[in-house]
This record gives sequence, C-alpha cells and structure tokens, in this order.
Amino acid sequence: MQSWRRKSLWLALSASWLLILLRVFPVLRLAEPARRQAGGPQGWPRWLDAELLQSFSQPGELLEYGPQPPQAPRGGSCYREACFDASRCRGGSLKVFVYSAVGPISETPRKVLTSIEGSRYHTASAAEACLLVLVLSPDTPAGECHPALPQWDGGKNHLVLSLHPTPCLRIFQLGQAMVAEASPTVDTFRPGFDVALPLLPEAHPLRGGALGQLQQHSPLPGVALIAVAEDRGGWRLAGTNFSACPWDGRCEQDHGPKQTHPQATLPNATFCLIPGRSPDALHFLQALQAGCIPVLLSPRWELPFSEVIDWTKAAVVADERLPLQVLAALQEMPLTRVLALRQQAQFLWDAYFSSIEKVIHTTLEIIQDRISGASAHPSLLWNSPPGALLALSTFSTSPSDFPFYHLQQGSRPLGRFSALIWVGAPGQPPLKLIQAVAGAQHCAQILVLWSSKKPPPPRWPETAVPLTVLDGHRKASDRFLPYSAIDTDAILSLDAHSSLSTSEVDFAFMVWQSFPERMVGFLTWSHFWDEAQGGWGYTGERANEFSMVLTSAAFYHRYYHTLFTHSLPKALRTLADESPPCVDVLMNFLVAAVTKLPPIKVPYGPWHQKARPPPLAPGGPRFRAEPQPASQDCLNQMAAGFGHMPLVSSRLRLDPVLFKDPVSVLRKKYRSLEKP
Amino acid sequence: MCASVKYSIRGPALIPRMKTKHRAYYITLFSIVLLGLIATGMFQFWPHSIESSGDWSVEKRSVRDVPVVRLPADSPVPERGDLSCRMHTCFDVYRCGFNPRNKIKVYIYPLKKYVGEAGVPVSSTISREYNELLTAISDSDYYTDDITRACLFVPSIDLLNQNSLRVRETAQALAQLSRWDRGTNHLLFNMLPGGPPDYNTALDVPRDRALLAGGGFSTWTYRQGYDVSIPVYSPLSAEVDLPEKGPGPRRYFLLSSQVALHPEYREDLAALQARHGEAVLVLDKCSNLSEGVPAARRRCHKQQAFDYPQVLQEATFCMVLRGARLGQAVLSDVLRAGCVPVIIADSYVLPFSEVLDWKRASVVVPEEKMLDVYSILQSIPWRQIEEMQRQARWFWEAYFQSIEAIALATLQIISDRVYPYAAISYEDWNDPPAVKWGSVSNPLFLPLIPPQSQGFTAIVLTYDRVESLFRVITEVSKVPSLSKLLVVWNNQNKNPPEDSLWPKIRVPLKVVRTAENKLSNRFFPYDEIETEAVLAIDDDIIMLTSDELQFGYEVWREFPDRLVGYPGRLHLWDHEMNKWKYESEWTNEVSMVLTGAAFYHKYFNYLYTYKMPGDIKNWVDAHMNCEDIAMNFLVANVTGKAVIKVTPRKKFKCPECTAIDGLSLDQTHMVERSECINKFASVFGTMPLKVVEHRADPVLYKDDFPEKLKSFPNIGSL
Repeated sequence: MQSWRRKSLWLALSASWLLILLRVFPVLRLAEPARRQAGGPQGWPRWLDAELLQSFSQPGELLEYGPQPPQAPRGGSCYREACFDASRCRGGSLKVFVYSAVGPISETPRKVLTSIEGSRYHTASAAEACLLVLVLSPDTPAGECHPALPQWDGGKNHLVLSLHPTPCLRIFQLGQAMVAEASPTVDTFRPGFDVALPLLPEAHPLRGGALGQLQQHSPLPGVALIAVAEDRGGWRLAGTNFSACPWDGRCEQDHGPKQTHPQATLPNATFCLIPGRSPDALHFLQALQAGCIPVLLSPRWELPFSEVIDWTKAAVVADERLPLQVLAALQEMPLTRVLALRQQAQFLWDAYFSSIEKVIHTTLEIIQDRISGASAHPSLLWNSPPGALLALSTFSTSPSDFPFYHLQQGSRPLGRFSALIWVGAPGQPPLKLIQAVAGAQHCAQILVLWSSKKPPPPRWPETAVPLTVLDGHRKASDRFLPYSAIDTDAILSLDAHSSLSTSEVDFAFMVWQSFPERMVGFLTWSHFWDEAQGGWGYTGERANEFSMVLTSAAFYHRYYHTLFTHSLPKALRTLADESPPCVDVLMNFLVAAVTKLPPIKVPYGPWHQKARPPPLAPGGPRFRAEPQPASQDCLNQMAAGFGHMPLVSSRLRLDPVLFKDPVSVLRKKYRSLEKP
Repeated sequence: MCASVKYSIRGPALIPRMKTKHRAYYITLFSIVLLGLIATGMFQFWPHSIESSGDWSVEKRSVRDVPVVRLPADSPVPERGDLSCRMHTCFDVYRCGFNPRNKIKVYIYPLKKYVGEAGVPVSSTISREYNELLTAISDSDYYTDDITRACLFVPSIDLLNQNSLRVRETAQALAQLSRWDRGTNHLLFNMLPGGPPDYNTALDVPRDRALLAGGGFSTWTYRQGYDVSIPVYSPLSAEVDLPEKGPGPRRYFLLSSQVALHPEYREDLAALQARHGEAVLVLDKCSNLSEGVPAARRRCHKQQAFDYPQVLQEATFCMVLRGARLGQAVLSDVLRAGCVPVIIADSYVLPFSEVLDWKRASVVVPEEKMLDVYSILQSIPWRQIEEMQRQARWFWEAYFQSIEAIALATLQIISDRVYPYAAISYEDWNDPPAVKWGSVSNPLFLPLIPPQSQGFTAIVLTYDRVESLFRVITEVSKVPSLSKLLVVWNNQNKNPPEDSLWPKIRVPLKVVRTAENKLSNRFFPYDEIETEAVLAIDDDIIMLTSDELQFGYEVWREFPDRLVGYPGRLHLWDHEMNKWKYESEWTNEVSMVLTGAAFYHKYFNYLYTYKMPGDIKNWVDAHMNCEDIAMNFLVANVTGKAVIKVTPRKKFKCPECTAIDGLSLDQTHMVERSECINKFASVFGTMPLKVVEHRADPVLYKDDFPEKLKSFPNIGSL
C-alpha cells in the first residue's frame, strides 16, 4: 500500500517535471530567436545563396578609360583649376593687385582698399600680380557697373569683392572671376571658388575692432537661454520654459518674459536664434561678438569663410521646420558643448571678423591657401586660437612646430634653447654673460649677433656649447629676424650688457617650457592710461603689476621671430628701428595680441642692478629699466597701428617652489637665486 | 541527460539509511530537484544550437525566390534629379521628428525582382556588395522595420553599377515604390555612374528628389550638403591581405599603377619617368600573364612584373588619375597601402569630402600641372608626408575598407545633417585613434582673464566643528573679492546652529544640508554658486591671511583653467616598489594642490559630479579620503596643464589629517594617499599629473621695496 503510494507519488512528480520541461523547452527554443526577431526576420534577410551573388562590377570594368579627352567645364561653371591660373603666382606666393577707385567712393570700400594695400600680399604692379581685385561699391549707380579694365581678360584671375550687397554684382558680366560677396545665397555660391564674406554692419572699424564681449567661459547664471533676432534688427529675449517655438507663426506664441532690445545692443543670452533669410546674416556677427551661440534656422546663405572655418564648432545649424526639437536640443545640450561653442564663437569673432582688415586678410589668406596646396594651413590652425592670420603657414604646416598647439597635438616644445646675444655699438664681447649662459643645463648653442661698427674679435672663449657669430645690420629690429641658425624652439634673447646667472637661466627655461606661447622675462615695464596726457604711458618703475618684459633678457618661442618679421606692418617696424626701446614694446604688443595673455616674470637678483653701469644716452645699450621720455609716444603709435591696446597686466611672479622659504638651503634646487 | 539519470540512481546510496517512512519521499524530491537543476544547466549550454536551428527554419531563402513585379511600359518615370535640392527644400524632416537618440531611422524595401513588360529583368536582382550594404544597414542602429516611423528609405533595387541596369525601366521601378513620393527621403547608392560614351558623373537614372550617395561626383553634379560622395569600393579590399606598413620613405617616390589610362596621360607619365628616372615607376598591363594570376593582380613595367596591390606599398606617392569616371577604385587600394594619393582629376568631389579633411591625407594636383607633379611633391617636408601616410591608412581603415564602413559613414553624415546639434566633430571624423589618445582639448580653451568684479564663492565643507568653522567664516569674509559664502553641512544627525549664532558677515551666507555624509558633496555644482571662481576651504584652515586669499583669487583669474591652491604636494615614481608614491615633504616640485584651500572653476564641479571616470567618485566616498587627489587628476587630465601653487609654504596643521597627528597615523595616511594615486592612475589609464618647479608670488614678494606700497604685504608670515 505504502510502496504503491510512494511509487505513484514518484511517478506523479516526475511526470509533472517532464510536463514542465516539455513546456519550457519550446519556449526556451524560441527565446533566443525571438530576441533577434525584433530586428531580425523583417530585417534584411540572410540569403542562402549570398555567397554566390555576383560582384557589382566585373574586374575589367573598374579599369575602363574614357575615349574622350578630359572634360572641359561646361558653360558658366567655374572651378578652381579651370578659371584660376595658379601658375601666374610665381613661387606659389600670392601677389595681389587692386584696382584703385575711380572718383569718390564711400567709406567701406575705402577701408577695403586700405586693407588690401596693407596686406603682405599686395603689389603695386598689375603685371606682377596673379590676383586682381575689383572692389565694388554699394553706391555705384547701376549704369556704371562696367569699368573698363585693361587686364580683365574675361575675368580670369580676378576677384570681385563687395562687402555690401550691390546691384552691380547682378548686372556685371562676371565671366571667370571669383566673387567674394557678403552672405551669398547657397544656390549661386560656387564652393571652393567663390569666397563667402560676412555681412558687416555699416560702420565696421578698419583695424583692431571691438573686442568680444565674453568675459567668462561659462554663461552667467540666470541669463536668458535664448534671444531671437527680430526683423527690425533688434533682439528679443525668450523665456526658458515655452511650450512652443519662439519664432514664426507656426506654433503658439508664448514668449515668457518678453523684452525687445534696440538694434545697437548685443544679445545677452546663451543661444541666439537667427532666421534663415539673407538680411538676418547681420545678426550673425552680433551673436558672435556677444559670445552668444548662433542657432541658424535653415540659412539660405553660405556661412562666412565656410571653406576654412568649421562652423559646427561654433554654431548650430538647425532646421526651422522642427522648432520643438531644436528647443529641446538646446535646453538639454550638455554643459561641455555649450562651453565649447561659446568660446569658439568668440574666438572666431576676434580672429576673423572684428575688423574690415581681418575680413579682407582672411579672404586673401584663403586664396593663398588654395594656391599653396599641400603647404596650406591645416584645419587646426584655422579653427583654434590664435587663428590662421596669426599662425603663418610659411613657418610650418606641422602644428607642433608652433607654440600654440602642443596640447591638441600631445607634443611638447624641444627641451633646449638657443641664446641670441645682441652686441651693440660699444662692441665689447660679453664674456661673462657667455660663460653664465653656456653653463645652463639646457643651452644648445650661443649666437652672437654682432651689430657694432667694430669688427668682432677673432677669438672667442672656449664654451661648452657651440658659439656662432652672426653679422647684424645695426637695425634694432634685426634681432628679431628668423635666423636659420636658430634650430631650437626656445630663444633666450640677450643684450651684451645683460647680467644673468646660470641658475636664473635654468629656472626661467623650466618655466618657459610650461608656457611656450608666452614671453618669460626678468625685467618688466608696465603700461598705464595717462589721464593728463590723454594717452598711454609706460614705466619701468618697480610696481605691483607689469605688462611687458624686456627682450634684453627673455625666453620666447622662435616662431615670434617669423611673425615679427613677416606679419607686422612695415610702418611699425620702421618706427621701432628709429627708437630702439620701441622694439621691446612692439614685440610685447605682438605676443600679447596673439596670446591675449600677459607675459611671465621670473625672479631677478637685485645684485645685477647694482653691478650694472648707469644708463647711457639714447642709442646706447638698451639695458635699462627706465624707458626714455622720447619713446613714450611709441606706445601710442603702436596702439594706433594695432587698432587697440593688446597689453594685459599681470600681478604675479613665478618663483621656485621653495623660494626664500625657511628651509635648509641644501634642499633647494635654485639656491643661488637667493644670494644675499 | 545520462548524467542526471545516473545521479538519481546513485542518490539514495549516498544518503544514510533513514528509518522513517518519508525516506523515499525525500529521496524522490531530492532527485527531482537534481534532475531539474541539471536540465536547466543543460539548456544554458545549448542555446547556440537552438538559436541557429531557429534561424535556419525562419530566415534563409534564396535570392531566386523573391517575388517578381512586372512593370507596365507606361508606368510613370520620375523626373530627372533636381540640381537645386538642399536639405531644407527637398528633404522632409518631419518624418525624422522625434528621436531621443538623435539618429535617423532607415527602412529598407523588401527585395523584389522587377521585369519589363516583355519579362526581361530591368537589372540583375542584387549584387554581392549591395546585399552586404543592405545587411550592414539592417544590422545597424539606424535600421527600422516599421515603414511608418522611418525617416530615410533605401530601395533594394541595386543601382551600384549603372552598366548593369536599364535606365528607364529602373526609374519606373523606383517610382512605384510604396513611399516614393517624388523620391523624398529616398537614398540611392551608386558607385559606377554613367556609361559610354560620355560617362556622366552622376547616376543617369531619373530620381527626382532622391538623395544620391554616388561614387564619382564632379563639382557640377554634386549637390553640396544634399548628396553624399562615397568611395568606389575596391573588391581587392576583401580578397587580398595587406598588412600595414609603417610610414617613411619608400623605394619609389611616385608610382602610377592604373592600367586603363587615356593616351594623353600615358604620354605625360612617360615624360615624368624619363625626367626623374628611378624615383618614378609607371606600371601598365602585363602582356604575357602567367597562369593562375588574375589580370587585376598583376602590373608590369617593361618586362618586369609586380604584384598588385602589394607594389603600392613600395611607393611614397601614388597617382590616382581620372579614368572613364572620376571615382576610381584604385584610390581605396592606394590608401590601404599607406601610399599618399596624388589626385589628378579636376573637379572630382573626393569621397566623404563633407566631413573628411583630404588635405591631411592626399595631394590634389590640377590636370594641367601634371608634368610638374614631381617638384610639387618634392617640396612637401618629410614630416608632413609621414603624417599623410598614416592618415591615408587610417581613412582606409575607417571609411573605405568594407561596404559596411561605407554604408555607415554615409548614414552618419545624413543623420548629422538632420540632427546637427548632436553631430560628431571634425576630430571624431579625422583624427586617427593614436592622435585622439594623445591630444587634450581643454574645455576652457579661450584665453581670457575674468573680470575681478565678479568675485568668488567660498565653499566650506563642515561636519560639526562649529567653533573652527565660525573662525574660518570670519577670516574668509575679510577677503575683498568674496561674493558669497556657502557652508555645506555634511552632518545628518545634527542640525546646523541657529541663524542668530552665525557670524555676521558682509556677503550672503548660505547653508546647504546634504543627504549623506559624502566627501563628494564638496564638489557638487550647487545652484547657489553664482560665480565662476570657487574657493574650496576646509573648516579648519584659519592660517591663511586675507592678502593671501585675495592674491590666490588674482592668480586664479590669470589661470582660470587650473587648480590654484596653497599647500602643494608631489607624486613620485617609486622604483623599488614599481608604483606611484605620494610626497608631502619640502620638495622643489609640485604636481598637486590640496583642495583644503584652493581656487578653481565651477565647471570642474560639474565634471567631478557627472563625468568622473570609472568608479573613482564612489571609491572616494567609500574610503572617505583622496577627493582632492581625484580633483587634481580630473583637472590635469581634462586640461593637460599643471596646478599653480600660490605663496610660500606654511605650517598647515596637517591639513589632510582629520585627527591628531602622530607619526604612525601620518604613515598610514601616506600609504593610503599613495594607494589613491595608484588607483586613479589605473582608472585614468595614464598619469595625467604634471610636475612643475614654480609657484606664484606677488610681483614684489620679498623684494627690497617699502612694504606699505606692496599690494599684498601680508604674505608668507608663518
């Protein structure tokens, strides 16, 4: 009885298990394919005979050649090779001739002419030029659009430039000429041939220009999320929580707190919505200047300099047909991207748009890049600070040769420096200085730039590093020529009368390696606004802040020699030659304009100052702390030449970590900096 | 199964005999459970065979069995392509509307065989490559099988090669697709456009508004921002194994490997070779082929034979000349060989030129300058050439090597146009992985000095040391640039003191209570922080003077992307233990600053809270230590820059310790901190900290100058 019950129990249990198993099994069987089914069976089938399918091309087919000779461009269509004869640019360098204006012209075209004439590509001879520029004026009557140009030749190698919409562009027989036009419509723009210019406001400055308004990296808390460009030229702030789109009538109007600003003011918001019609392009620059991220709604115009500027890094091009989605995307945009867009928009404003000169020089630089081919600016140089106008591709096309891109490239400057000693009028070989510098740990070589009337001595002291004597031409700006003998990234610029210790040189070079784009110097000047004189002044008095370091003892990157020689206007360099302290000012202006940051000061032993001979008369050695009164004016002339005051003040000095700390001197690496 | 049976038999023998009447019952139960477990276990091991059998029964069909569609002779033909089409005119974005992942949805029409009225097929049903392409799309994230939710439609009609289809009938087949609607949002793939004699540069099939991903566009058939220029796939990519060859000078400077070239080009090539001799190698078809080697794999120069594509690896530059078509499959082979392509095909729109920066990987030479090509190439510095060789190989690996790569890049481009705010960047497209790894993109890259007027927010993290906290508050409130003080009350068991008890200060004081006693609360991006500059300060740092703090803020303004702090620390490599070591002695170098007193940008709070790599944040909270080291790692990693230590060393009362400092405690402390460094370095995969030998002092610090004229006289007193 019991065994029967036991058996039946056993049987029942095992039977139920079997049942469960059988039921589960098919489910398990299906479980796996079922997961694939979501994208599986209705997806593209896995054909049984997929392996047997024929290739899309027969082997011979890929190798066919056309029976006809290379195609010629069809009517009207121009592309670079067909309509622009680059071989006229001898040596691959652009030479630009500009037709001078006939009769009176309005202000903007005059500024354009001035900018072209101030460019380093400008030539006065039309025969020598490989690019001939015709500047159209917006107020030329439509009847006078056809100037008789002797070199016109169907427009070949011509650039027709107009900063403002002009009827002439529509009437003019452009032929094979390139067109540089403000906000061209997408349909007529020929990529790679035409140049898209920004639509500038009426009174855009010639040089320098208004600085960007961005004062900090992240948006201020509480600032409006979105400003919308208005038809009349102003901006309207839109609240953050709208249930509908803040532009056009497609959706319910609910603007939240509504404020309209007059035309002159710049938008104060994180994003700036700009409609797609051509006149709205004017808002685009305002947004850039304000550091407001432009959100372009289906723009019908080509973005300025789109050939070289990567606008995806600075603006959002959105589809006006998807308002809610655009708003949601803006609201949810990660902070990291907001920061990046904001800073990039501001950088582009400062680098390419803030003045007419920058716009024109950028245009010419783009054409030069087309001619240069492989030695054009890489995209990185165009799209990260300080921008392609300040990073010359004639110096190098490899970003890691410049002082600006080491982070992006994961590279570092070469760990050695060349000392460049300028020997002026008295012509005394600076033997003590040479020994001090040659003893520095990272000194690669010493170059003596002999600019004295006396011949250099035939014998020089034995030094641990090679010593070369270069013959200078006695011009103050000669010391900043890009000498080919300089093969290190860092230059230690010195005067014969400079006095430095080995330890000071060692420490300053360590600091420079952390800041390769800045000047690292020992002696400083500071500039100030002189209310009484109504101009800029500068002083060598010791003060709590400084904005310039003297190039009679300073480390900087050798790239600045190239930039000094090739990018500065000739007038400024001549000015510097006439009044030697101006050279220091000019170099400091240049570096500050590029970096937008102050130079760096390192400690300088007070005993040097005591040991030095008293300052000599102007024209003598320039190693003095106090600038001559006569040279005060050069600061103002430089500021006018740059269009603004680029110098930035600093309130700090970089010292060794244990500098003058109450700890055993034996622990200190740079102990001789603290000599009593 | 066998095993389970065996176990159930042996089961009873293993169990000691029980004299209860329930014995058999338990045995049964036990064996059943065992059986069940084993059975489940077996299913776990079997799913593969189950899956494949399911797959087999459901999916596999033959291409021959697809339904046949007969096209009437008078069925409509789409209009020719509209050259003025742009995304905002011809593309219907409403179909792509709501999509949280910012990816377009792509639908593929089922495969059908189209025949004309007479029963003649309009084209070969499908080629191997087009099948691969559709498979790739179907397997990708873009795919949807729901035609109503799709944003982009891909016909299964194979248009890759125009020569293998009948133009008019194919167009009719396109027009009868269920969602054709003048071709709106339809994407057509074509690699070999045109046909003899004039070889158009775009597909001749009338296609109305459809987007064309084409392999041989010229500037006047390509609709910028609408069409996509794609490579011509080289079948050799799959057939031949060609291992990567490093960059550097190679045997031949310039090579031409194309066989079917226009006689004019042949003459120019011969002239080039005559002028430059050994450095230039011009190859052609072989006249007498050895058996077994396909013609496509052999090239000859006079009597000398070369293996193709292997010979491409012997050259630094390789010519890619215009053939019948602008797009040439040889471009793919050349890139693969790490040979820099010299593209001589005027008006050719290079593959994916919308996103790829071809300047970095190729040299484009105008046709009329073909004879000067040698001198043009000679002027390129070697460093740049090597960079181009690397870049060429990387382009092939990422965008040319398979049909799948081509298809996905095409869809990515279109998707990025529809969702531009989520588009991937220039660097993502163009930087090879090695560059991406080594490079740092500083999130605060714009050089600017924030205005002094904004001031800073001081954040004091406190638990219960109220007396000390009040002293810190009083001291910090004397700093001129302080704009707000935030106390983070990290004690959940105790309420903060009443309002009336707090020191009266001239700036707003806010107390934030936290939900949990975590160190990471110090670095939370509180909404109350309204300034960019943040001063993190411990509730026992009372030794910093007002001058020192104000100067620290001034230094931060000049270095807003760095950590600017007072006590400095160093990491060292311990050669004996082979790991990192933490150092707090008086050293000549600094690589970290303690956040017990440090200025930094508020953005780093956001990064610390939301973007800290790996489990570091939780690890710090669990160990109640090293949040400052983690912050140093984070900032150095993201900016690639060193910290700035401000002002001389002070006797900080062991700022890192929480209790009384004793020698043994100090040692365990150092061991723990060293462990943190090693842990973080392994999570970051690198050692981001940068060592420097400088600190920041006021310009006139310790100078022989009247103290009362100095801006920050009270600095460095112990």
